[in-house]
Amino acid sequence: MKLLLKTSILVIPFIIFSFFYLYLSKDNSYPGADYKNFNLPSFELENLYDESLISNNALKGTYLINIWASWCITCRIEHGFLTQLDDSNIRIVGLNYKDDRDDAIEWLVKYGNPYETVLHDFKGSLALDMGVTGAPETFLVRDQMVVAHYRGEINKMIWGDVFMPLIKGEGLADAK
Amino acid sequence: MLNRFLFLFFISFSLFAEPYYEFNNNEDEKRFFSLIKEIRCPKCTSGSLASSNAPVSEDLKKVIAEMIEDGQSDEDIKNFISDRFGKETLYDTPREPNTYALWYSPFVFLLICLVFFFFRKKS
Amino acid sequence: MIADISHYLSILSTAIFMLTFSLVLVLDRSAAHSTLLIKRSYSHAFFLFLISFLLYVYLALTDNFSVSYIAQHSNSLLPNFYKVTSIWSAHEGSMFLWIVFLSLWGFVFNLYNDNNLNVKNLSIGIISIIIVGFQLFLLVTSNPFEIVLPFAPENGADINPVLQDPALAIHPPTLYLGYVGFVIPFAYSLAFLINGNKSLNWEKKVKSWSVMAWVFLTIGISLGSWWAYYELGWGGYWFWDPVENVALMPWLAATAFIHSLSVASKSNVLRIWNLLLSIIVFSLSLFGAFIVRSGIIDSIHSFANDPQRGMYLLAFIAIILFVSLGLFISRFSMFDSSKNIKSLSKESFISLNNIFFGVLIFSTMMGITYPLIYELLYSQKISVGAPFYNAIYAPITILATVMLVVSIDSKWGRTIDIKGSFSMLYVSLAISLVGLVAIGYFIGEMPFIIMLSFFMGLVIIFRYSILVISNFLHKKYTNIPSVLAHTGLGLLILSISANSILSSEKVFNMKPNETRSFQNITVRFSELELLNNSNHDSIRATFSINSEGKSFFLSPEKRKYFARGQITSETAIKIMPFKDIYLTIGEQLDNGQWVVNVQLNYFIRFIWLSAAMMALSGLVIIKNIIRTKA
Repeated sequence: MKLLLKTSILVIPFIIFSFFYLYLSKDNSYPGADYKNFNLPSFELENLYDESLISNNALKGTYLINIWASWCITCRIEHGFLTQLDDSNIRIVGLNYKDDRDDAIEWLVKYGNPYETVLHDFKGSLALDMGVTGAPETFLVRDQMVVAHYRGEINKMIWGDVFMPLIKGEGLADAK
Repeated sequence: MLNRFLFLFFISFSLFAEPYYEFNNNEDEKRFFSLIKEIRCPKCTSGSLASSNAPVSEDLKKVIAEMIEDGQSDEDIKNFISDRFGKETLYDTPREPNTYALWYSPFVFLLICLVFFFFRKKS
Repeated sequence: MIADISHYLSILSTAIFMLTFSLVLVLDRSAAHSTLLIKRSYSHAFFLFLISFLLYVYLALTDNFSVSYIAQHSNSLLPNFYKVTSIWSAHEGSMFLWIVFLSLWGFVFNLYNDNNLNVKNLSIGIISIIIVGFQLFLLVTSNPFEIVLPFAPENGADINPVLQDPALAIHPPTLYLGYVGFVIPFAYSLAFLINGNKSLNWEKKVKSWSVMAWVFLTIGISLGSWWAYYELGWGGYWFWDPVENVALMPWLAATAFIHSLSVASKSNVLRIWNLLLSIIVFSLSLFGAFIVRSGIIDSIHSFANDPQRGMYLLAFIAIILFVSLGLFISRFSMFDSSKNIKSLSKESFISLNNIFFGVLIFSTMMGITYPLIYELLYSQKISVGAPFYNAIYAPITILATVMLVVSIDSKWGRTIDIKGSFSMLYVSLAISLVGLVAIGYFIGEMPFIIMLSFFMGLVIIFRYSILVISNFLHKKYTNIPSVLAHTGLGLLILSISANSILSSEKVFNMKPNETRSFQNITVRFSELELLNNSNHDSIRATFSINSEGKSFFLSPEKRKYFARGQITSETAIKIMPFKDIYLTIGEQLDNGQWVVNVQLNYFIRFIWLSAAMMALSGLVIIKNIIRTKA
């Protein structure tokens, strides 16, 4: 009885400490990354420019969806990277989030347009369905399935560590 | 001038044009307030929708209000949100095999201690 | 220059504390001259550190932004009070304060003479080495003295408006005073174990210190709750946030501890409990620091996401814990626990009390760590919140209160006399039943657990009231702190239950000049103003309220601070005898209406009143101890 008590007094804290040690040593370099797969929600949104309706069926293959807005300051920083990325054969679809149409178009003129299409999600309904909590965020979509979701701005390092492995994994990114 | 300032000051893009949060009956209202306390703000480090001003929290509150008006159950609403923002948005930890350890261990622990306590005295 | 001096003094202090520890190891601890030397050494080390800290305060007051931490957390426009409080608004500075308080407790403890020189010196040595550990942590991983080179920002950091609040400013120091105070019983109990002489009544020596630390913790936690209530806007006073929980755990352990301390002389089993509890309380205090500062758990309070710091703290706490537990286990046999506690004696109730508190601590620990466990096991995130904690705390607390009222009639060293003793209890039960029926009539339907809580709250209050009256009539001694604290507990349970069942809220969409009503209260949106302040713009909505025949105005605001574009919501609260009327404004809708949130929070002031009663009872205990010594 006493022995049991004595051992448990030492063992229980030991278990707790080992647990915290394990948890702390876990690699958590990208807390903004989420690799949970889910189906791209069905939607019907207007094209930012010509207001034509686009539904999820129209988007095929592998591409990024980038959540952005003219009121989002961090997006300006990220945009530099995205325009540069545009050159390297990955398709980017823009999701303009809770933004005024004119403001958005003007912003793209000013900062460049790396997007193959821009969806105007004025109400943020598609964004809500995708679990967006703000801008900027980026999704990697492959054949109507979301395979990666990154919250926050993307830079070269994050692109390399979070997205590239998934893109490379399934073969070449779709050529434009 | 004041109106324009106010509009700029608090840009709010409502998902729903109709006034919301005014419920038809007390039950719905109670459900609403109870739900927004139980659902975690997806953007904040910690805290419920009730204590958060974040845009995504406001959106979720509106969604919840509309779903209640629509007749959806608490479970429907929680599933809707956790499907999109993760199970971690539910402060009411689900009771499933993976979480039995959480929910029942306190009572198991109590039982063990009480057994120790009474058993010791008899010896 | 001054920053360098301050830094240097801290380093010197570390060395002198190290020296103090060495002296304790090397010298003849039972000798008077060694004691004097050790005392002096400790005092010097303490004063060096204190001066270092005061110089740091001076740096903050004089806007010395060459110091990186001060540049990041203070601002030249802040009032002096907030320049000082900004020091503990983040990790490095608050750690600095933590150590100042830790060494302060040791200093004051050291002022008092103790017949048992060996044990006293040992305890000072233990405290010294613990301080060294923290000082090294501070200087190596969390240096508050880092210099910004070469250009110091002119005005400092953007002000976080949320931090400019008196309650929020005092809350951390009060908490820290509580947390670190438990180093005294911890160190002394370890010294006792090392010394090996079981007849020494260490419990008596540390009792007033432990109670004082407990009082600080009680007040610190209550301040946090009070601040959260008026600042965070959802009308709640406790969220079961991980960092609230890590403050609650040492408090629970400390409460069990101070109960158990009073029983030292009565039973060996309880003396073993006392040793274990003194280790547990201090460890939980340190654990709290670890959780908050390692960034391991997402919480409003998380200071820094720094795994390296987390590792250091974890290792440090592990060392302290395992050394003390090892010592505890090796000296277990010091106590001949064959003398069993009589069942249903007062000692047995205290033991049972320890079990109930232990279960609550276990459950809280479970709740805090389960998301981490789940994530490690299933690579998925979950949250644990109020539903879990309420489900555990409510029934356990009720069981504990049942035990409490039964234990009042128990006796030391004898089994409770079932036939003779319970007449006062039966009377209390009867009156409480009547009270419960009245409450039920007034409130209507309520969940069973709330009904039970009301009942037990009433039983506690009536039982103690009858006790006081009976003692007075029979000219018997009344243990005032016990009555005060436990009545406070009863009030706490009643208030929490009443708050939970009676409170309500409603949202209105209103335009100026519109009126709404709700629960016998009319709310008229009387004015909307745009205000400009030096550091923020605000929209202030004034409402004319009519309640219970009284008329008054409430003006909640929405503020936008220039520095970071931060938008805050300021609540407006009217305190009435049994409830608060609590107003916030939300967004403006497209049609020009404003979302207005009206809450009625019942009995919330009584919750803090009960905490104050408990804290007061602690002070009475200390006063009594000092009186008997004099």
